[in-house]
Amino acid sequence: MPDHAHTPHAPFQRKEDRRLVTGHGLYTSDRTFPGELHAVFLRSDRAHAQIVSIKTDAAKAMPGVHGVFTAEDSKAAGMVKVMCMLALKGTDGEPPRVPARSAFADGCVRFVGETVAMVVADSVAAGLDALEAIEVEYRELPHVVDASRALDAGAPVIHDAAPGNLCWVGEAGDRAAVDAAMAAAATVIELSVESTRVIPSPMELRCCAATYDAANDHYHVYSVTQGVNAMRIQIAFAAGIPENKLTIHAQDVGGSFGNRSPHYPEHCAVMLAAKVLGRPVRWAGTRSECLASDYHGRGNQIAGKLAIDKDGHFTAIQLDWVADMGAFITPAGIASHTRNPVVLLSGVYRIPAMHGRWRAVFTNTSPIAPYRGAGRPDVNYMIERLVDEAAAKLGMDPADLRRRNALGLGQFPYKTPTGTTYEATDVPGSLEKAVRLADWKGFPARRAEAKARGMLRGIGMATFIENTGAGVFPKDQVDIEVDANGMVHAYSVAHAQGQGHETTFTQVIADAMGIDTANVLLHEGSPEHTLIGNHTGGSRSLVGAGSVCKLAGLKLIEVAKSAAAAMFDTEPSQVDYAAGTLTDRVSGKSTTLAELARRPEGLKTQAEASIGSTFPTGCHIAEVEIDPLTGTTEILSYVAVDDCGHAVDHTIVEGQVHGGVLQGVGQVFAEKAIYDEETGQLMTGSFMDYTMPRAGMLKHIVIDENCIPSKINSLGAKGVGEAGCTGSLSALSNAMADALRPLGVPPMDMPFTSNRVWHAIAAAGGLK
Amino acid sequence: MSRIELTLNGKAVSADVEDRTLLVNFLRDAQQLTGTHVGCDTTQCGACTVLVDGRALKSCTLLAVQVSGAKITTIEGMANGEALHPVQQAFSECHGLQCGYCTPGMVMAVTDLLRRNPKPTDEQILHGLEGNICRCTGYINIVKSVKRASELMAAG
Ligand code: FES
Ligand code: FES
Repeated sequence: MPDHAHTPHAPFQRKEDRRLVTGHGLYTSDRTFPGELHAVFLRSDRAHAQIVSIKTDAAKAMPGVHGVFTAEDSKAAGMVKVMCMLALKGTDGEPPRVPARSAFADGCVRFVGETVAMVVADSVAAGLDALEAIEVEYRELPHVVDASRALDAGAPVIHDAAPGNLCWVGEAGDRAAVDAAMAAAATVIELSVESTRVIPSPMELRCCAATYDAANDHYHVYSVTQGVNAMRIQIAFAAGIPENKLTIHAQDVGGSFGNRSPHYPEHCAVMLAAKVLGRPVRWAGTRSECLASDYHGRGNQIAGKLAIDKDGHFTAIQLDWVADMGAFITPAGIASHTRNPVVLLSGVYRIPAMHGRWRAVFTNTSPIAPYRGAGRPDVNYMIERLVDEAAAKLGMDPADLRRRNALGLGQFPYKTPTGTTYEATDVPGSLEKAVRLADWKGFPARRAEAKARGMLRGIGMATFIENTGAGVFPKDQVDIEVDANGMVHAYSVAHAQGQGHETTFTQVIADAMGIDTANVLLHEGSPEHTLIGNHTGGSRSLVGAGSVCKLAGLKLIEVAKSAAAAMFDTEPSQVDYAAGTLTDRVSGKSTTLAELARRPEGLKTQAEASIGSTFPTGCHIAEVEIDPLTGTTEILSYVAVDDCGHAVDHTIVEGQVHGGVLQGVGQVFAEKAIYDEETGQLMTGSFMDYTMPRAGMLKHIVIDENCIPSKINSLGAKGVGEAGCTGSLSALSNAMADALRPLGVPPMDMPFTSNRVWHAIAAAGGLK
Repeated sequence: MSRIELTLNGKAVSADVEDRTLLVNFLRDAQQLTGTHVGCDTTQCGACTVLVDGRALKSCTLLAVQVSGAKITTIEGMANGEALHPVQQAFSECHGLQCGYCTPGMVMAVTDLLRRNPKPTDEQILHGLEGNICRCTGYINIVKSVKRASELMAAG
C-alpha cells in the first residue's frame, strides 16, 4: 500500500453522506411543486424524415390534458437556438455551422429520440395516454448514422446549412514539417482507431422542472446540472431571454460525467409550458428516453501516423480525426473533440513535428457532448496505441520506448509544437513506480504460465497527460461568511455530482483557517449569491473553486484581523490569529470569529482567481487474460500511478480513479451505442441492450501517486476526475492487443466483447 | 382503485391506489418517500430496491396492490434515529458512494444479502450486487462496504 493510505477523518465520512445514505438527498426528480403538471414527450421514432403534419386536437381533448406543444409554439416563443462555445474559424475560413434547433423538431426529424411534441397533463399516465392520440405524418428521408460515411459524396444531407454534413474543419501543427519527417523516418506506424460512441448514463434520469413568475416575468428552472451559472447562460440563450430573467436551482445531482453540463431542448419545453399554462411543469425521462436523447459521448474515428528514427525517437505524429457530432451541435461538443486533442497532441512525449486535421460531422444520431475526459481519453487512446504498435514493430519493450521518448522532469515547462505549455510533471518517475507495482518484468513468466493453461495473457501500458482547470468563465469566485455561532459558510457555483465538494472544499478552508472541518459548511447552487464561476467539468473544480476556497479562508482571516484590530483599538499587524481566535499581541485581549460575526456588519468576504490549465499525468498498467475458447476476458490487475498535484483527500482521489477506470473498462469491454445502418434505429435503447459495467468487471486497482504540485493555483492541485478514463482506455486496449498479437490478430478496436474477440481469434486462424 | 394496507417503515398505512400504480410510484409520490429512486425501465438497475417482508425486491416491477399486507422497509426506515444502520455506516466509511443515487437501492440489496449470508465471500458479494448498477464508484468501494457492514453487524 502507498504510504499515504491514511484517511484524514476517522472513520471516513463525507459531509454529504448522511443525507445520501438515509434517503434524504434532494435530487431534481424528488422535487414537487404545488399545482404541478407533468410533461411527457413524443419523440421521433425514425432517423430522418420530413414532418408533413402533426395533429394534436384529439390529444388536447383527452382527460387531464392541459396543453400540447410543438415546434410552432417553441418557434413563436423564440426558443430556437443552441449555444456553441467554439467560435474559431476553421481552415475553410468558416466558423462552426450551427443549425437552428428549436425545443421541438421543426419540419424535419433528424435522429431517433428527437423531441417532436409535448403533452402536459395532470399526471404522467394521463400524458402518456394522450401521446398516443397525437398523429404525425412523416415522409421518410435517407439517413446516415456513421460519421465517415456522412462525409462521402452523395451522402444524405442532414442540414442545408452544412453541405456535405461538415460542421467544422480545422487543422493544427505544421503539415510540411510532418511530411518531411515521415519521409525521413526509419519507421512509420499507421493505425486507425475508433473511440466508440457511448452513452454516459448517469444513474439519475435526466429531468427538469420550471415555474414561471408572471409578476416579475421570471423563470425558475430546476435541473440536473454541473453548475448553475453555466446552465443559466445556456438556457437563457436557448430560450432567447435575458440571463437575469432566469434562476437555476439544484441540490443533489445523481452523476453527470459531462452529460449534465449542456442545456437540452426539454429545458425550454417545460419553461414554455410553465409560462403558457401558469403552473409548475415537471419532466423526468425514462431510461429508454435518456438512452436515445441524452447527448452521447466520444464517437471519434481517428487515423494516426507516428514517425520514428533509427534510434527509436519519435520524430512526427499526424492525426486525421473525424468527430461525430450527431444531428445537432451541443455547446461544448465541437471544442471537446477538436481543441482538447490539439492541446494534447504531443502526449507525454517530445515530438518535434506534429500535424492534425479535425472534421466535425453531422449524422442522424443523438448529438455528442463531453463525456468524462472530453477528447482527452480519445487522443490518448490514439497516441498510446500507436506507441504500442511501434514497440511491437521495433521489437522493443513498450516501457523502454516510452522511457526513450517521454518528457523528463528537467524538460518543463515544455512548449509543444501545437502551442501548449505543459507544466512540470514526472512521467518517467510514474512509469518506474507503475512497472514495479505491476511487476512488469515478471510478465513473460506469467504469460508462459497462462499459455500452458491454454489462456492468452497480455499486458498494456498507458502514459498520459491531460489539460484540466481552465474554464469558460473568466474567474472563479467564492463567498465566505461566519454566522453568529461561529460556523463558517462558503458559497461556490462549482456544482458537485458525486465528487464530494462539501467534504474537500470545507477541508481546504478548515486547513487554511486552522479550524475543525465540522465548523465549515459549503453551499453550492445558492442563486442569491450571484457569483462568477465555472461549473464542475474538465476535472477543474478543486483546481478552480477549490483553490479559491483556500484564498477565501486566508482572506477571511485578514478581514477578521482588521475587525479585531478596530475592536482592540490597534493595528491589524498587532493581531494574531490562531484557530478561530484573534488576540492583541500587546494587550492580550482576544475575540473570536463568532463574536466578530455578531457585529452588525457581520464577518464576510469574497475571494476570486483566474486559473488556467494544470497538467495532471499518469502511468496505468493493465494485465488481462483471454479465454480463447469463449473470447471472454478477465482483468487480472490494474495499476494506476497518477500525478494529481496536491491531493486534499486521498480517499476521494482514489474514488475518482476507481470510477473513471471503470467507465474506461465499460467502454473497452462492453459499452457502445449502436445505430442500425439500415433503419437508423438505436439498437442499444435500454439497459437490456446497452451494457453498463457491473460489479466484478474490475475487482481491484493498485493506486499510487507521484505528485508534483501545480504552480498555478494556491492548492497545488491538478485535476483527477478524468484521469481514470484517460489512462484506462489505452492501458486496457494495449493489454488486449498484446494478448492477441501472438496469434496474428490485427490491431483490434474496442469494444472487446467476448463475441468480437472470439471472432477475431477465429479469423486469425485460432490458437496456434 | 383498490384499497391497500401495509406496514411502511414500521407504521400502518392504508391507501386507495389505482391498480396500475407501481410500488415505487406509490412510495415516491403518494408517501413522499423519495429516497427510493428510479434508474431504469427494464428492472436492471436496482435503484428502486426496497425490503418486502425482509426480501430485497425492485419496487419498479411490483404493483402497489401486490404488496398489500406486507411489511415494507425503505431507505428512510433503516437508521435508528441518529444511529445509522450498519450497512449505511459501512457505505459511508468505505466511500461506497459518490453521487449517492444508487445508494439506497444498494443498501437495501446488501441488507438482504447479509441477512441471508452474514459472511459472504467476494464471489458471493459480486453475485449479490448483480442487480444493482452504480455509475460512479467503480464498485470496488461498494464491495469493501459490504465486507465492512458484515464486520459491523457481527460486532453487533
Ligand atoms: S428502477 Fe427498478 S430496477 Fe431500475
Ligand atoms: S454513487 Fe452515483 S450511481 Fe452509485
